[in-house]
Amino acid sequence: MSTSTLTDRYVHDVVRRLPADQRQDVATELRGTIADTIEARRPEDAEQAEHAVLTEMGDPIHLAAQYADRPNVLIGPTLYSTYIRLLVILLCTVLPLVTVALVIIDVLDGVGAEGILGTVAWAVFGVGAQIIAWTTVVFALLERAQRRRHTRAAGNWSPKDLTQITPRDRAGGSAWASAVFSAAALGLIVWQQVAQPFRTDAGEQIAILDPALWNGWIWPLLIGLGAAVVAQLLRIISGGWTRKLVLAYLVIEVLQVVPMVWILYQQELFNPAFLAEVNQDWTTPDEVYTGAAVIVVILAVGGVVGRFRQIATKAS
Amino acid sequence: MQGQAQELRRGTVVLACLVLLEEPQYGYALLETLEAAGVAVEGNTLYPLLRRLEKQGLLTSEWNTDESRPRKFYSVSTEGAVVRAELVDEWRGLVTSISALTKEDS
Repeated sequence: MSTSTLTDRYVHDVVRRLPADQRQDVATELRGTIADTIEARRPEDAEQAEHAVLTEMGDPIHLAAQYADRPNVLIGPTLYSTYIRLLVILLCTVLPLVTVALVIIDVLDGVGAEGILGTVAWAVFGVGAQIIAWTTVVFALLERAQRRRHTRAAGNWSPKDLTQITPRDRAGGSAWASAVFSAAALGLIVWQQVAQPFRTDAGEQIAILDPALWNGWIWPLLIGLGAAVVAQLLRIISGGWTRKLVLAYLVIEVLQVVPMVWILYQQELFNPAFLAEVNQDWTTPDEVYTGAAVIVVILAVGGVVGRFRQIATKAS
Repeated sequence: MQGQAQELRRGTVVLACLVLLEEPQYGYALLETLEAAGVAVEGNTLYPLLRRLEKQGLLTSEWNTDESRPRKFYSVSTEGAVVRAELVDEWRGLVTSISALTKEDS
């Protein structure tokens, strides 16, 4: 046979969405069932009957989902409201901030009105699309992880598993703020490297942070920021800090603080070309970097201690 | 209204299958038997359902390759028979409660 039949194509389209160990079995049964159904109609035109039967069986994607016994959703009802809320917050805070920052840079560079309009359009659609895409990816992964946990723990639930209601959810607000802050920091670091937004007097476009960082220290920092976003989202979803989450937070903080302190200590944060342009003849004193490093450490330790305290008070 | 009726019928298909599969049957034959018995169900609902019930241990299956095409025959397992008895009780209870309720209504 040179061409595959409609049934062959239909069956293939269903089983390729199933776990490998079920494919053969489902395919044989489905093929038999479709043949049985066609035969039972005693068709005059076999091809037409095949077409009709397959139409009744419906979209292979739906049928495969039924066989695999999994819902056909990317983000389920438990996460949906959080997802929408975070998207709205990001689009209402980060997006305007980035847009305004880009416009300010354009104005400082003396770009004309047309160029500024172009920048605004790029920021709103380009950055907006990035924000939506990455948020969706993170939530889709959370959804999958959650579903796996639920199927494993099904039946073991007891009222003890209920999360504590924190009196006044000021902690919830700060978790949102931290998530947005980490996401914004991550976005800005990547953006300033990709877009090279600063224009020197010589008319050259350069990055603000030292490009040499991309050969090393920036990576643990970026991974730490990404993990921080996920940890804060998990904290929001579970309604409070758990022991596991705080331990994860501790690791994430270390992941961010160690490279940050090292970068500051070595004074490798800013692009030398950018510093030369901004500072002109003035050299930044060492104390500024040392001071910044100390502040970073104090903030991180404060954050970790505060969270440990929260679970301690909850446990007592 | 159609959606509500469908919702109401959904659980009864499982019960009907557990009752009918006392005798081993393959997918399409079961669909026809169900239809003849007045239990309306689509193939694309029934066939995946049979596999789910098998996975839950309520049905067992066996391939029969004697005929022109291989067919998977399903039948009720011991555990399935226990569940069926419970479901039948449940069903009788429901019929009693609902008819009592609807009598008061009219």
